Amino acid sequence: MIGKLLSTDLLKMRRTGIWWVVFIGPVGLAAMQALNFGLRYDYLVQDRYASDPWAGLIGETGMFVPIAIYLAMTLLMAMIANIENRQNAWKQTLALPVRRSQVFASKFLACLIQLLVACVLLAASVAIVGLVLKFEGPVPIIDLLTLGAYPMLASLPMLGLMLWMTLTLRNQAIPISLGIAASLVSVFGASMPEIVPLAWPAVVLANGEAALRYSGFGIALFAVLYLLGSIHFSRKDVA
Amino acid sequence: MNEMMIETRNLTKKYKGTRAVDALNLAIPRGEIYGFLGPNGAGKTTTIRMLLGLIRPSSGVVQIFGQDLKRDRIKILRRVGSLVEYPSYYGHLNAVENLETIRRILNVPKTRIDEVLHTVGLTKDAKRHVKGYSLGMKQRLGIAAALLGSPELLILDEPTNGLDPSGILEIRELIKKMPQEQGITVLVSSHLLSEIEQMASSVGIVNQGKMIFQDSISNLQRKAGSEIHIALSDAEAAMITVREQGCFARLDQGKLIFKGIDDGQIARLVSALVDARHSIYRVEERRKSLEDLFLTMTSGASGSASEIAAIGSGAPRGAGLRKEVAQ
Repeated sequence: MIGKLLSTDLLKMRRTGIWWVVFIGPVGLAAMQALNFGLRYDYLVQDRYASDPWAGLIGETGMFVPIAIYLAMTLLMAMIANIENRQNAWKQTLALPVRRSQVFASKFLACLIQLLVACVLLAASVAIVGLVLKFEGPVPIIDLLTLGAYPMLASLPMLGLMLWMTLTLRNQAIPISLGIAASLVSVFGASMPEIVPLAWPAVVLANGEAALRYSGFGIALFAVLYLLGSIHFSRKDVA
Repeated sequence: MNEMMIETRNLTKKYKGTRAVDALNLAIPRGEIYGFLGPNGAGKTTTIRMLLGLIRPSSGVVQIFGQDLKRDRIKILRRVGSLVEYPSYYGHLNAVENLETIRRILNVPKTRIDEVLHTVGLTKDAKRHVKGYSLGMKQRLGIAAALLGSPELLILDEPTNGLDPSGILEIRELIKKMPQEQGITVLVSSHLLSEIEQMASSVGIVNQGKMIFQDSISNLQRKAGSEIHIALSDAEAAMITVREQGCFARLDQGKLIFKGIDDGQIARLVSALVDARHSIYRVEERRKSLEDLFLTMTSGASGSASEIAAIGSGAPRGAGLRKEVAQ
């Protein structure tokens, strides 16, 4: 059943522009770095990161990854929820023979798939920037893939919150404002204490050894929020 | 005929202390078009949402197909088609895609989409984006969606709301065909009595969350009653002739008004009046309009509960239908 639900959710996303967000986010980040490294090639590639230009490129991109992920989670979930909220289609969807928990799960999976696609796109487009700038050495495929994936896992609590709020609240302004505020604050993640979940994606990027641990924290906190959201969604009255 | 498709017992929904639906007992037999009638805000939509499991009752039981909705919700909903209030749709998709989102979940063959589009007459516009549809077309798409899974029970909440007269007629004809052609039982709600009167076979009237009348439509009409008005040259003198015939008339503006007399009595009366040299101008039947009855039943239910009870207990009981009277 979850497969059927997911396939309908993907069908409902046709012509909504959601996939453009998935595409433009990572490609935009890479384009920004192409400009950065292209304009300051002499300083960045031949001086500052001369020993390992790939690591330099990944590091510079990484500075913008947390805010991009938070924004993506907010925007994608708002768009996914909007499909059902706009014409009040919830009453139709939930009057079908489906479990509410599965409807909730399907919305989550749809968003997760989009985030994973964005991670892969980010890896690919950053690799292309490096190759075009003729960086030496082999392409660090693992580092490129984890550039998006680890911070994404560490940011999952945000997705849990967004999932909960966008799918249960009538007023979408609340989750969207909250998501944008969190995205902006996350820029200063590196200077926040590590106990604050908003700092986790930055921690993951700055400290390779802590990456798995903080990704784990992210998943754990997400699981709690997901469960609460799912229970609330399953029990609430549909107006 | 006695098999109940929908049965609720003491169904109640409280919102912050006020009872939107108050101890409602619905009984809808198979094969009926059940008109669920009440003024705006009477609790019709709340009840229908509870029937579909969209909102939880504060107390009471819903049974559909004889199964408990709480326990077998998914099994029940597979056999129910619904349209709740104004239509739900995805404006950025066309009609076929809209139905496809539902078809994948119901797991019915793709040909059903063409069939239901044909049934509601949307085949020509199937490939257009739904946001460009008129309200009537959206409403018809909603009905197509409700029919997609070949349901045994169709629950339509205000399906003709906001439609123009020709749209109303189309939807009404569509609904009337269902029990005959496909054996579907229909629950249709409306705040317009005339609407219900033209399509329903039985009716439940709800006001302020309470069921105040539940019976067949013919019993409702009978209760409304009819009067025979006879206009003639000298009404006062005619009263004597009438009394000799054993009938009792009310005099009103030079007309004699009879209540509850049959055809034979009318014929005898007229010939007696003619023999008595009265000039008869007009003999007409006047129905007390159902609107009046509806208004008496629903106006100020709090103030005149006894009056409603009196109306409710006057009519003969319909076969297989329970009648509810406000206490």
